[in-house]
Amino acid sequence: MRRIFAVALGILTAIGGFVDIGDLVTNAIVGSRFGLGLAWVVLVGVVGICVYAQMSGRVAAVSGRATFEIIRERLGPRAGLANLGASFLINLLTVTAEIGGVALSLQLATSVDPLLWVPVAAFGVWIVIWRARFKLLENVTGLLGLTLIVFAVALFMLSPDWGSLAGQALQPGPPADEQMSTYWFYAIALFGAAMTPYEVFFFSSGAIEEKWTEKDLATSRANVLVGFPLGGVLSIAIAGCAAVVLLPASIDVTSLSQVVLPVAEAGGKLALSFAIVGILAATFGAALETTLSSGYTLAQYFGWSWGKFRRPAKAARFHLAMIICIFVAMAILATGVDPILVTEYSVVFSAVALPLTYLPILIIANDREYMGDKVNGRAMNLIGSVYLVVILVAAIAAIPLLIVTGAGS
Amino acid sequence: MILSDLLGSEVVDAAGHHLGALIDVRLEISGAPHQLLAETVVVGILVSPHSRTSTWGFERRGANAPAIIARPQHWLHRGMFLIAWTDVAQIDEGRVTLRDGYERRDPVLASTAHPH
Amino acid sequence: MNDPHRPAGRVLDAHLHILDRQVLDRDGVPVTTVDDLELDGIEPGAPIEPDAPPPTVAAILTGPDLATRIFGGRPPESRHIRIPWKLVSEVGTTIRLGITGYILDATWTERWVSEHIIARIPGGRHDPE
Repeated sequence: MRRIFAVALGILTAIGGFVDIGDLVTNAIVGSRFGLGLAWVVLVGVVGICVYAQMSGRVAAVSGRATFEIIRERLGPRAGLANLGASFLINLLTVTAEIGGVALSLQLATSVDPLLWVPVAAFGVWIVIWRARFKLLENVTGLLGLTLIVFAVALFMLSPDWGSLAGQALQPGPPADEQMSTYWFYAIALFGAAMTPYEVFFFSSGAIEEKWTEKDLATSRANVLVGFPLGGVLSIAIAGCAAVVLLPASIDVTSLSQVVLPVAEAGGKLALSFAIVGILAATFGAALETTLSSGYTLAQYFGWSWGKFRRPAKAARFHLAMIICIFVAMAILATGVDPILVTEYSVVFSAVALPLTYLPILIIANDREYMGDKVNGRAMNLIGSVYLVVILVAAIAAIPLLIVTGAGS
Repeated sequence: MILSDLLGSEVVDAAGHHLGALIDVRLEISGAPHQLLAETVVVGILVSPHSRTSTWGFERRGANAPAIIARPQHWLHRGMFLIAWTDVAQIDEGRVTLRDGYERRDPVLASTAHPH
Repeated sequence: MNDPHRPAGRVLDAHLHILDRQVLDRDGVPVTTVDDLELDGIEPGAPIEPDAPPPTVAAILTGPDLATRIFGGRPPESRHIRIPWKLVSEVGTTIRLGITGYILDATWTERWVSEHIIARIPGGRHDPE
């Protein structure tokens, strides 16, 4: 019974934890411009994150080594540092976007200027990281994030023309008024939003925080293989809502209020408040995960003591690094930059940085010195290799498409 | 001497002909016993004719999975060999000279599986 | 001892198995990463006598050696932060030391940040709740 409960809890947190500001914004934008014409990318991204998280979780549980330790060990100091620089910068952008997202959702709830909410949100993130136990932090935000299911409910309440939605999803390609390059640019953004590296840094370091062993592998597999796909369904529901309400009205998504507009139209104030709670929890949870990931990556590259299972004074540089990150994120937001815009860029750069993060995990998952007889099987290597190619292609295409399309405008 | 000063050095035979690059140093934990671990001694150097950087050891561990990474790695390090330390005549900055009549040995590591 | 076909002990490759691995202390607390290794018994520019004893691993280097491995150059002799190899108790996917890491030179920044910043913030010395 306890075990079933643990699995259920893990799955629920995985669903809630899958969606963050990047998924919310990118899916709403894509839905409002392309309908469900890019839903297939969410599918590709979800399978990718399952493969990646499954491997890094297994490596962490069997060998006790977290993802960035492996990256440093396999890539060496130079390529490792390049990867650290890129991953850390993207993480910082994402921390900024998530804290901004918390402030924006508080603005939706209270109509108070988001700039006034930024310090509150930042302090909230810090105090939880400083004081709360890892398990608590993971479960509460994951469970509250489940209220995002309201997007799926709203989609049904809007009673859309299911045939035309399915038609969009099954006949991929840009609508007549959109360019092919813009279509592919958003495909990469959506892929980057689903496969953000920070999720894997957090997931693998979390396995060590919670002292996973080989016995926990089955639980981990269930969490990933059930939770992430359901999170992907939520993502598609967000895009679907936008496709039904925003696309016909030609409304461009430039703020969170447009993201939740379809929910308000379908279910009124009650549904809207659920959506706001969901977005607040999802962004707050993701702000915690990204801030922790900044600390994890730095500490693991340099070999510092890290982890929330230690008291802060026993992982001092790890905690100091996170405090500095939160301050930098606040400083960026204080310039008045639009968090939605920061989000759009961070998901694209996520796609660029992915290969160097993914490759070492694929190698170590096959190394008997680390894994004993728990190395990848044939099927896992086949799909892992296919994704290596997909990730490489996306990374190489991302920057040219960013420039050609003027960031999708 | 620092390990990274050795890595990437050019390896030449006694007549000065280029043989490849030193990409790793083979050690053995077998010397005089210490309190915790026996002394770790250098027993040889690994020379790769076609690549200057040691990477992931696929060629030394006989590892073949995943093929998408293993194949190019085996190709990059084709012809790699081990030189016993006793066959090394002199170390200079960026250059290692072997003795006359040195022997090219098999670089493959015995099973190093060391699960946790 | 020098015949690689008949190893007398565990055989491993310095770059592949030691460089850039995590160093843990006696209690499993991370100390640093192996940024470089110091080898004793190699005299650059001098012929090696056929019967000379083989070189040995003398120390793990850390700190400034990371910067020089990335950007080139060499730190002055006095700037090396050494962890003597004789303190190592086990070489696996991590390098384990037989002592506590808290007293080593390699962890002075950790101690400094801990004492001067983190421990002074309320709650810094307590376990999370």
